[in-house]
Amino acid sequence: MTTCSPSATLSQRIAAGCDENAFKCYQCKKCTSGCPVARYAGMHPAQIMRAVQLGQVDMVFDDRFIWLCTGCETCTTRCPQGIDIAAIMDELKIMARKQGRIPAGTPSAAMLKLNYDSFVRWGRMWEVELITLDVLKRPSSAKNWFTLGPKMLLKGKINPTLKRGDTQAMKRMVQAAESITRARESRTGEAAPAGDAGGAS
Amino acid sequence: MSKILAYYPGCSLHGTSGEFDASFRATARALDLVLQEIPGWECCGNTAAHSINRLLATALPVNELAKVEQDMKLDGVAVPCAACYSRFKTGAHEVAEDEQTATDVRAVVGRSYNGGVEVDNLIDVYHDAVGLDELKAKVTRPFAGLRVACYYGCLLTRPPKVTLADDPEYPTHMEEVTEALGCEPVDWNYKTDCCGAALALTEQGIVDDLVGRILTDAKACGAQAVIVSCPLCQVNLDGRQVEIAKKDAGWQGIPVVFLSQLVGRALGLDDKALGLKKHLVDITAVMA
Repeated sequence: MTTCSPSATLSQRIAAGCDENAFKCYQCKKCTSGCPVARYAGMHPAQIMRAVQLGQVDMVFDDRFIWLCTGCETCTTRCPQGIDIAAIMDELKIMARKQGRIPAGTPSAAMLKLNYDSFVRWGRMWEVELITLDVLKRPSSAKNWFTLGPKMLLKGKINPTLKRGDTQAMKRMVQAAESITRARESRTGEAAPAGDAGGAS
Repeated sequence: MSKILAYYPGCSLHGTSGEFDASFRATARALDLVLQEIPGWECCGNTAAHSINRLLATALPVNELAKVEQDMKLDGVAVPCAACYSRFKTGAHEVAEDEQTATDVRAVVGRSYNGGVEVDNLIDVYHDAVGLDELKAKVTRPFAGLRVACYYGCLLTRPPKVTLADDPEYPTHMEEVTEALGCEPVDWNYKTDCCGAALALTEQGIVDDLVGRILTDAKACGAQAVIVSCPLCQVNLDGRQVEIAKKDAGWQGIPVVFLSQLVGRALGLDDKALGLKKHLVDITAVMA
């Protein structure tokens, strides 16, 4: 039988990052019942919450669940304890990325970063760029677009051009947000090994 | 007098969902609503920002709200994309609820947002800003009882602490709008279930499962079309049927129509202005 010694570090970091108290969870599993992706990963939301309470970092970060979470907010809506579970999933994604703990077989993690970089670069997210960069990085993904891509193009459903946003204002806001976040993390001892707030991939 | 609303189209309405933008603008004109697009708008941060940099995720929509409030001097903004709508509502909620967040966001945005802007999603625009009686009065080409499944997806009603939706698990405002157009909304199981959202870019198998379940139920409950108010839901529910049909030879396609297209058709607007030909599962038969 595997035993573990509870450690509050993980839950404390979550509380510092998103102000949510994981200890309020009493394992009713309403989050899991309503979760659209629970069946597709090794862990489900209630198990993630328990692992967080017990400080089981590896259980959380070695599983792909957090990277399948779509942010549909069903768990948050139904939690009888009022825990914003979706916000905890976001915080876990932020921590995993900073610590370089993204497991293999989770292309969604890289896609989120491509998406982030795209709107940071142009002021707006450019859908065509996301798909192109993803295919270059992960050539096997091209087959997903063989049927759908041409059909959408023919229907005029895809607009390949981009009208930029205010890129100067975007740059200024990104720099300010990243620097405030870094300063906060260094105060709470949450500095990433790579020392990069939001920049690591 | 015409009502004036600021307008935030968001990236998808300028990208893969041009017909959503076009049909929304066309219906607004017909309903005597003046839409003023926010000048130089930025991305709301979408799904990516809140899982990479929480502060930026809150600051981006609040920056747009500050522009509406202080530069455009308007008290309402229409945000038809469900995902952008959610980011706007969440941003406004977070700066109103938490002082530290408000201080940090002010530092990022460079000014305060004072909470003076109402954020309307697509359903709110027709249901409340225009109003059901006014809408009904302008219908010139009503549907003859088209049976529709109103699909809200995730973010129009959740989380209720942010959206303040009346009934987040079984909302009915979209049904009321479709009834005003002469449609017959059906009761069904999956109106607020997730379609898989951005997993369509990376985990297509999962999205095919989720979409298949949603559409099978809509059909089983008697719907002839599914009505949506989110560009990503529309692309997923419509587009994934191509793959679903490959796995299930007996699959009968079901049209997936934007609510703005449905409203436009009932207002007698030109098919071209509504972009009815851009769908992979043909919608022209149900919109005829």
